[in-house]
Amino acid sequence: MSLPDLAARLRVLVGDDGVVDHPDALRVYDCDGYTLERAAPELVVLPRTPRDVAAVVRLLASEDIPFVPRGAGTGLSGGTLPVGAPIMICTSRLQAIEAIDRRNRRIVVQAGVVNQWVTNAVRADGLHYAPDPSSQPACTIGGNVAENSGGPHTLKYGVTTNHVLGVELVLPSGDVVQLGGAVEDRPGYDLTGLAVGSEGTFGIVTRATLRLVRTPEGYRTLLAVFDSVEAASEAVSGIIAAGIVPAALEMMDRLIIGAVEAAYGIGLPTDAGAVLLAEIDGPAAGLDDQLARIEAVCGAHGSRELRVARDDAERAALWKARKRAFGAVGRLAPNYCTQDGVVPRTRVPDILRAIQAAAAKHRLRIGNVFHAGDGNIHPILLFDERDRDEVARVLAAGREILEACVALGGSLTGEHGIGVEKCAQMPLLFGPDDLLAMTALRAVFDPDQRANPHKIFPDAKVCVETRTPRRQAPL
Amino acid sequence: MNATSPDAVDGIVPSSVVHPGSVAEVQAVVRAGRTLVVSGLGAHLDVGAPPARVDTLVRLDRVDRVVDHEAADMTVTAQAGCSLATLERVLGEVGQWLPLDPPSPERTTVGGLIAANLSGPLRASQGTVRDLLIGIRTVDAEGRLVASGGKVVKNVAGYDLPKLHVGALGTVGVVVEATFKVRPRPELEEAALMYAGTLGGAADVALAVRDVLDPLWLEAGTLERGPGVAVGVGGIAPEIAAARHTIEWVGARGCVAVEWTRDGAALRRRLGAFPAAPALAVVRTSVLPTEVGATMAELRRISGDVPVLSHVANGVVRARLDDPEALRRILAELRPAIEAAGGFVVVERARPDAKRRVDVWGHLGPDLALMRRVKAAYDPRGIFAPGRFVGGM
Repeated sequence: MSLPDLAARLRVLVGDDGVVDHPDALRVYDCDGYTLERAAPELVVLPRTPRDVAAVVRLLASEDIPFVPRGAGTGLSGGTLPVGAPIMICTSRLQAIEAIDRRNRRIVVQAGVVNQWVTNAVRADGLHYAPDPSSQPACTIGGNVAENSGGPHTLKYGVTTNHVLGVELVLPSGDVVQLGGAVEDRPGYDLTGLAVGSEGTFGIVTRATLRLVRTPEGYRTLLAVFDSVEAASEAVSGIIAAGIVPAALEMMDRLIIGAVEAAYGIGLPTDAGAVLLAEIDGPAAGLDDQLARIEAVCGAHGSRELRVARDDAERAALWKARKRAFGAVGRLAPNYCTQDGVVPRTRVPDILRAIQAAAAKHRLRIGNVFHAGDGNIHPILLFDERDRDEVARVLAAGREILEACVALGGSLTGEHGIGVEKCAQMPLLFGPDDLLAMTALRAVFDPDQRANPHKIFPDAKVCVETRTPRRQAPL
Repeated sequence: MNATSPDAVDGIVPSSVVHPGSVAEVQAVVRAGRTLVVSGLGAHLDVGAPPARVDTLVRLDRVDRVVDHEAADMTVTAQAGCSLATLERVLGEVGQWLPLDPPSPERTTVGGLIAANLSGPLRASQGTVRDLLIGIRTVDAEGRLVASGGKVVKNVAGYDLPKLHVGALGTVGVVVEATFKVRPRPELEEAALMYAGTLGGAADVALAVRDVLDPLWLEAGTLERGPGVAVGVGGIAPEIAAARHTIEWVGARGCVAVEWTRDGAALRRRLGAFPAAPALAVVRTSVLPTEVGATMAELRRISGDVPVLSHVANGVVRARLDDPEALRRILAELRPAIEAAGGFVVVERARPDAKRRVDVWGHLGPDLALMRRVKAAYDPRGIFAPGRFVGGM
């Protein structure tokens, strides 16, 4: 079937405004938050209902055409890059919150519902949805499920998979299957748990049943200022070793502090080596005691200043600084690439040294803003896209940082996924038999490899059309 | 040997029993290509449907090392045969725990914990195996050693294959090693008992507690002195004091007296033993939390006032049965209604003679077809515990 014919048949299914095929309009979809590689799809389909998603996928199945699922396009590993798949199916118009069961703390949402909307819908009932990626004002639940997204508060509350009870999945055949559901302990294999984090390679999730949690009675949010990232890292280990599980434990280094302060002016000490943002939550009664323990640990590790948010406004300002740090980085350089790696918590100082070494070796500026309590690093590599040599050095430094993560006993990604970005590096972490066990599972859901092909696995990557990366869209 | 042999699996006596001393020996056993059921210390072999066939019983009690406990990283790696009691001791030395509390912890191994997806009262606040398991090593159907996940607490590299093995009863591979996140153990654990008069009243009180507090655990059912609620609270002293105050308030509002016990962990262990070694069977019903009260009442109405106990926050309701007729009636009368409402009724444990007369797993949804493909992908020759799992897999 020719592309115009396919577009015409898709328009019958989803309406005229549900198909994008003008080349200028398609450029919007040529990358997600990972901008170092680009490829525009030939067609973008924007269905409005789960049923329409299934109809679109069924049509593509009948024509044996591969497709790429996409939510809001905030992913950071190129998971929505159309590689060997001409058709992109966006779930961003599936925006219904279908059912809220407050007493049982369940909510059923469609895939295009934005993460933040879930909490907005239940906040008045004293509930919230715990996974809170920094892109939560934009990213969709469908994308969160595909990537098994995290966020600062996952230190205490767990990541997406810990909060997804069930999903409706449109298989690459177009068949619709419900996996899991509102009731726990479903007999059988944990297909829901397998689908979460499968990066769109099992099909398209159209609905999810999510777990809600009680909003804590109170918070204490502490900013601890250190002269060096080493001292801050030691404090992180000290807090964990003291048996405290903060709700979040985040670190920003000097480069990021400077950018954040320039952007938001909340009074961060720009001469500091690092700041820790620690938050505890829970019953009001225990908070001051726990806060005192954290303050003591920070003090023992040379914290020169401790600031506790006095009210909700101050807490909000601190979190704004943290969650919008990526946006502030735009002040430092025309372009940046956010890496995502994991090390055992105690190896944070080692990986920060490795990042410094990579920066020096490749003559790059690299900032760090990350989930220190989880050992989940996010080095931000600054560059100018017009400098092709610098782009090459950014890619090389990124690879070396990930190799260092693996060498320290960690992982290639904590929350952004493998996508296209890291598939070549999967053999660092997994042997051939390990990878075979994974591809066997993919074949269960997608025997013809039509759902988001050429992702995750190392042999899959084909040459992506490489253009000079543009300036990234603001996240 | 006969059907009462200690090596029998649901009455089926294996033709051989092996005790591999290493992972390599486990691989060799699998490569022999005969049907096998894996056991740790044998405490949970009564979970699941009777196997269609067992050539070899593989006892992993010699593959039992704690491989690695990185206290500051809060992770622990252990071989499949390592008992929870051993882990508790190792972790306890630094004030940590793996917060999963199945019955018979001293006779529960890491492999059994994963394969049978065992949990206990703590799941109300700590989650289940799927929430704590971060890495796994298994022997696949070809005898190859396969790793997935890792040793870090946050990791999305590749598919989340550790979850494939959770609750799979050994039907897709042999778990030989696992890595878990661990947590600091609460400094104090106390518990409240509230006798509510009726099971419905007990469930209401439990839900009222959950509305205003995140308890460490929350059980309701036929307690020692009648229908009631047991609430565990954990933390540091000021947290316990505040929780006490809150629970007293819930009790006063519901006109229910509250008794406290300082040793909450001991009460929790007693309650957690409820499913172990039933005279005839333990039925596990899964519903929404708000349906727990009605489900307990219905179980008792149908079965003639058998003991029931629920993890209220998780909607898990168990009944202990000693009468085959009660079991038959629950499956005939209650199961269809529960399933129609989206829940499940599973014969969690039963004596072999009782098991053979019933459908252990109940009706499964349209996702069974995918599950069959999963099974075929990982066990093409059908050597891993055939017949033990849902749909006869």
